[in-house]
Amino acid sequence: MERFQYTRARTIPEAIGIGAQATTAQQGAPVRFLAGGTTLVDLMKLNVEHPTRLVDINHLALNAIEHMPDGGLRIGALVRNAALAHDATVMKDYRVLSEALLSGASAQLRNVATTGGNLLQRTRCMYFRNTAMACNKREPGSGCSAIAGDNRSLAILGTSPQCIATNPSDMNVALAALDATVQVQGSKGERTIPFRDFHLLPGDTPHRETVLEPGDLVTHVTLAAPRAGATSRYLKLRDRASYEFALASAAVIVEVSGGRFGNVSIAMGGIGTKPWRMTAAEQALAGAPVDEATIVRAAKLALADAKPQSENGFKVELAQRCLAHALRLATGMAAS
Amino acid sequence: MTTAVGQSVSRKDGIGKATGATKYADDLHFPGMLFGRTIRSTIPCGRVKSIRMDFDTSGFTIVDYRDIPHRNVVALIDEDQPYLVETEVRHMAEAIVLLAHEDREKLLGANVVIEYEEAEPVFDPERSPHSFKDITIEKGDVEDALASAEIVVEGTYRTGHQEHVYIETNGVIAVPEHGGIALYGSLQCPFYAYKALRSVLGNDHPLRVIQTETGGGFGGKEEYPSMIAGHAALLAVKSGRPVKIIYDRVEDMVATTKRHPSIVRHRTGLTREGRLVAMDVDVILDGGAYSTLSAVVLSRGCIHAAGPYRCDNVKIFGRAMFTNTPPNGAFRGFGAPQTEFAMEVHMERIAEQLGMDSLTLREMNALRPGDMTATSQVLKQDASALECLQEAVRRTDYRRKREELKGTNRGIGLALFYHGAGFTGAGEQRLASKARLDLTATGARIMVASTEIGQGTRTMHAQIVSDALGVPYETIEVAQPDTSVVADSGPTVASRTCMVVGKILERCALEMKERLEGMTPAQYHAKHGAFSIVKEHIQPEWMRWDDDNYQGDAYATYAWGCDVAEVEIDRDTYEVRPVKVTAVQEFGRPIHPALAMGQIEGGTVQGLGYALLEHVVMKNGAMANPTLTNYTIPTTLDTPELDIVMLENHYDGGPFGAKGLGELPMDGPAPAVVNAIRHLGLDLRDIPAIPETLIACASL
Repeated sequence: MERFQYTRARTIPEAIGIGAQATTAQQGAPVRFLAGGTTLVDLMKLNVEHPTRLVDINHLALNAIEHMPDGGLRIGALVRNAALAHDATVMKDYRVLSEALLSGASAQLRNVATTGGNLLQRTRCMYFRNTAMACNKREPGSGCSAIAGDNRSLAILGTSPQCIATNPSDMNVALAALDATVQVQGSKGERTIPFRDFHLLPGDTPHRETVLEPGDLVTHVTLAAPRAGATSRYLKLRDRASYEFALASAAVIVEVSGGRFGNVSIAMGGIGTKPWRMTAAEQALAGAPVDEATIVRAAKLALADAKPQSENGFKVELAQRCLAHALRLATGMAAS
Repeated sequence: MTTAVGQSVSRKDGIGKATGATKYADDLHFPGMLFGRTIRSTIPCGRVKSIRMDFDTSGFTIVDYRDIPHRNVVALIDEDQPYLVETEVRHMAEAIVLLAHEDREKLLGANVVIEYEEAEPVFDPERSPHSFKDITIEKGDVEDALASAEIVVEGTYRTGHQEHVYIETNGVIAVPEHGGIALYGSLQCPFYAYKALRSVLGNDHPLRVIQTETGGGFGGKEEYPSMIAGHAALLAVKSGRPVKIIYDRVEDMVATTKRHPSIVRHRTGLTREGRLVAMDVDVILDGGAYSTLSAVVLSRGCIHAAGPYRCDNVKIFGRAMFTNTPPNGAFRGFGAPQTEFAMEVHMERIAEQLGMDSLTLREMNALRPGDMTATSQVLKQDASALECLQEAVRRTDYRRKREELKGTNRGIGLALFYHGAGFTGAGEQRLASKARLDLTATGARIMVASTEIGQGTRTMHAQIVSDALGVPYETIEVAQPDTSVVADSGPTVASRTCMVVGKILERCALEMKERLEGMTPAQYHAKHGAFSIVKEHIQPEWMRWDDDNYQGDAYATYAWGCDVAEVEIDRDTYEVRPVKVTAVQEFGRPIHPALAMGQIEGGTVQGLGYALLEHVVMKNGAMANPTLTNYTIPTTLDTPELDIVMLENHYDGGPFGAKGLGELPMDGPAPAVVNAIRHLGLDLRDIPAIPETLIACASL
């Protein structure tokens, strides 16, 4: 077994101070914050991550769900997935988030996994998790085994010749649709990052997954006040009924009035290298009549830029159908 | 009267497992123990040119084929598979070099560089130039009957690999003792491993094999442990220290056996009314790179290929083909799930072409007592195909639902099936299994090599002995299988452990009871001391089997079943959700109703996974999705409501009327589900029926 130093941080500045000693906060970071550990410990056992220092942040006061004066919610980074999913306000006003959380992992994992951790959940691409295989995300420059390998479950949007791994988080898809913001404290102070800017495309640096720098600690995720009259849903398609990652998923937030779509927010999961916002489809829907033709047209438009890999061509149609059905559910055209 | 048999008594292994006290192979430690690792081929076909140890070898034990003291061959049927590659590589993940070290990190860090000369691999069994085994079963004149048949229906059906996914991966520990080896391991067949170790180590060493508590097998620990046992023993002999080898899930999935993929072609002649007059069946199994058990898997597959139907003219031709892939092997059902899948989907297509109801077609042709099977075996009163079919139809209101559900997103389908219990033909006679029962100071101890692998062997055997001997169940002990002390009751396979070994134990107990002359075991023991009774299997005297022509009494008896599956489809996403499965199964009688129910539930869910979820992706001759993230098996939420009915029809040759049950439940779910999907209007003939397959299916 590989040795590492374990520190229980008593304060946020202490955690940040230790984190800032590292050279990177990305793949292979020598210092890692330990929250739920559901991804990190797994990857350490698989020899994918080798931190020499673990900073346990579980005792920091970051586990509250706070109602903000503007009607929004501020979610502490240590709020467990189960607590967030079952929070009364989240269930009522942010149904898409509750449904997304409950569609992920298992009850036991959701009891432990945290909001901040899920934000940073690592890909389930099996080539990333198998040290016998080449992977640019795990070992920059080593190559991508997935492109010529078993890529059925991998991405069709946002890929690069270096990496086609999907972001596996369901919560992230809902947060993308909700236009969440991520609050970070670092050695240079506090900053707020719009959700769409938080995750990075793989490009030539797939080992860089977020904008976080050494010492950066995610403290909160903030949601704006719920849009009056909007309905939201999360639909996840997968190979079996539970404990499985999405082949395609859709988070939709829909306003309807007078038989026409108002503002619509759409994000999709299981198909992108990061949580994928569908702006073209959103624009096509806004102001259009709520009917089958509109929905199908928008779903097609959403996937217009998809670039399937050798074995996941089916995902294009599956994702279109997923989005169309999520829109039917949110508009009451179909019952769940 | 019975007090234990027929009751769901507490399991002999229950408390230990429930409290976590039970020790599995990886829980065992021996002083000075090393860990073993297998260096495997990374090409599917070719030759080894050079091997170089690119690490500091101090502290390592390194074994290659030159270290094998006796024969470099895994002793099984054809003896073609080496323990370690000499020069020729026939498949991915073939063992070439073994390493052992006391530090697992150092062991994992060792880099062995192997240079190969690659050759062109064969992956398609239909294009393979080599068959391990051909089998022909012929009755009547098929070509003549096909020529004069009023209707001929043809079809091709395919099934994929299936991985066992026992919860405990393969693992053994070889421990040097008394100048020889004691081999502890997670395995189904201690005497198979014993025979294999004799072959690799020779006859000069004392040997024993001890089964450790085993977390599932499903056939995957029938023959494969012979390989890993040999590897650990070679490292232990060379190092003089105990060596433990435990596979992780990836290694277990990539390197060990799976269910044989199949391609089955049917050409069937019928009268206009639907009577079967000719069945021409062609069976191809993908055997992989070595023969292992393919010949006997093919045999069982072929014998069951005509389904539970009567027909005077039958020709079944089967081949197990060589491909450059890891060898396929034993898996619950042993060839029958593949061929019965084809038969039952074909029956549905026959009915469609005749424009008749498939239920009537099955009723008309189902085997009844007095009918003859494909191998010309005349069935006795213990044949229950019709009873199973009728009960399943009645309970599910099948005819009404079949009509009412038309045009909806719910479909209903059924499959009728059967499974021969015990070894095929003269197999049990050749095995000549023995069982021993020892009198103890408090009761009796069962001394057999039959293994508890979760299915309830210990409990069920103790129930049989308890009632036959007329003593309380609690006073019966069951010895841990150790080849140096127990009788060789044969392998724990082929649905034989209850029916065959249980029957021998029943005879042991009855004779012990006579010897006790009315005394309790305690009284007798106090007065005269201990004694043992040893009995050998007796083949029913009426059984005849011609192994050259595959004609005669293939099995002493068959268990029968009818599964009805109701499924829902989402026509947007092609997700298929089984809503309810009704399983009506006749296997003599249940010795332990709760355990029997567990066998049926487990086998049914394993069959549902086979039908709908479990997709082994092969790339360049190796499993490309060898993790439980990518190889999906059913969870509880994927398990529909199960309505299980255990019909009784006592079989005189089994203990207390019992037949074998272990494999039967695996045969029905896949065709029942596929027939339910056909009812939804999709012309599906292949499994697994993953959404990509369904989306490409033609509409009916």
